[in-house]
Amino acid sequence: MQGNKDQIKKGALLFNEDELPFLVTASHELKSPLALVRQLALALEDSALSESERARIAGQILLTSERALRLTTDLSRSARLEDSLFEMEPLNPQQICEEVAHEMTPLYRAKGHEIRVVSRYRPILAVANKDLLRRIILNFADNALHYAGADTPVELRAGAQSNRAKIRLSVRDYGPAVPADMWHRLEIGLGRTVQPLHMRPQSSGLGLFVAGQFARAMQGEIGATRHHDGATFYVDVTASAQLSLL
Amino acid sequence: MTKTPFVLIVEDDEWMAQQHQRSLEAAGMKVEVVSHALAAMDALDTTKPDVLVLDVLLAGPNAFTLLHEMRSHADLAAVPVILCTNSAEQFAQDDLSAYGVRRVLDKTKMHPKDLEAAVRKVLL
Repeated sequence: MQGNKDQIKKGALLFNEDELPFLVTASHELKSPLALVRQLALALEDSALSESERARIAGQILLTSERALRLTTDLSRSARLEDSLFEMEPLNPQQICEEVAHEMTPLYRAKGHEIRVVSRYRPILAVANKDLLRRIILNFADNALHYAGADTPVELRAGAQSNRAKIRLSVRDYGPAVPADMWHRLEIGLGRTVQPLHMRPQSSGLGLFVAGQFARAMQGEIGATRHHDGATFYVDVTASAQLSLL
Repeated sequence: MTKTPFVLIVEDDEWMAQQHQRSLEAAGMKVEVVSHALAAMDALDTTKPDVLVLDVLLAGPNAFTLLHEMRSHADLAAVPVILCTNSAEQFAQDDLSAYGVRRVLDKTKMHPKDLEAAVRKVLL
């Protein structure tokens, strides 16, 4: 008994008060996919299910588990950010968008949605860490899935900013507009504080916080634009000068 | 002859909504699903459900915005509400009864049949 108490005390000392909102958000956001996996698993107990329904639910369990695993991998990557050295390299942001679209397509299709890359003709290069940049866009794409309208695709795009010093990778969803006051609070803390759970539910609070951390580790930053029919979440990273030298 | 209960589900997780819908339809109920509060207001106006099953955290306005709006319409204020949430520990049913909330179900603990039982209970 005393041993248990000591363990609990030791565990409590690992976190200071500033980290508690983060823990609350993290636990809530892990709860959503886990609760869904549990409900889907319970549904499989129903002997009246047809083989095709059974296969569909098993597929949903797989995709939901993968989403939860993306979140836990991001959390552990985020916790190790300060101890790690990141290789920054020139990379093609369009290719990152295409890889993310490819990875997310099974989940989008299973939910009856479409994710696509809006192509550009002029080649651009960004300087970033490939894994972190990919994780940021995966986060935005995960988030956008919950807000996408049934008949409108989520769009990924990459382009140079007007001063050519920055490259912007963005994820645009078309869904219900976020109320103005809620949006204002979301914008103020975007990626810098853990958003309260009611801001944009599902993956947003923790996902955006982690995305902001990943962006700052690459000297970049994340932001968002509100539209009357949805939102765009973006990350700006440094443009590579390599192409201009050719 | 007993009337078939009509349930409106407001749930932004499509697969969770499908599970709720499947279990209620298997119990002989008529079900409509919407994914956000604005669509719920439209559906409440047009379909007049017997029970509203409501998730709390929704895209756009959340469940409490919808509950406030419902309270301002005499006909909608009478619709019994079942909150179905991952954060059930944060809500005491007694505190929410003024908003028409008759049951709070915890999605992390409930069995699919609990929803059917809750709907039948609030219709008694």
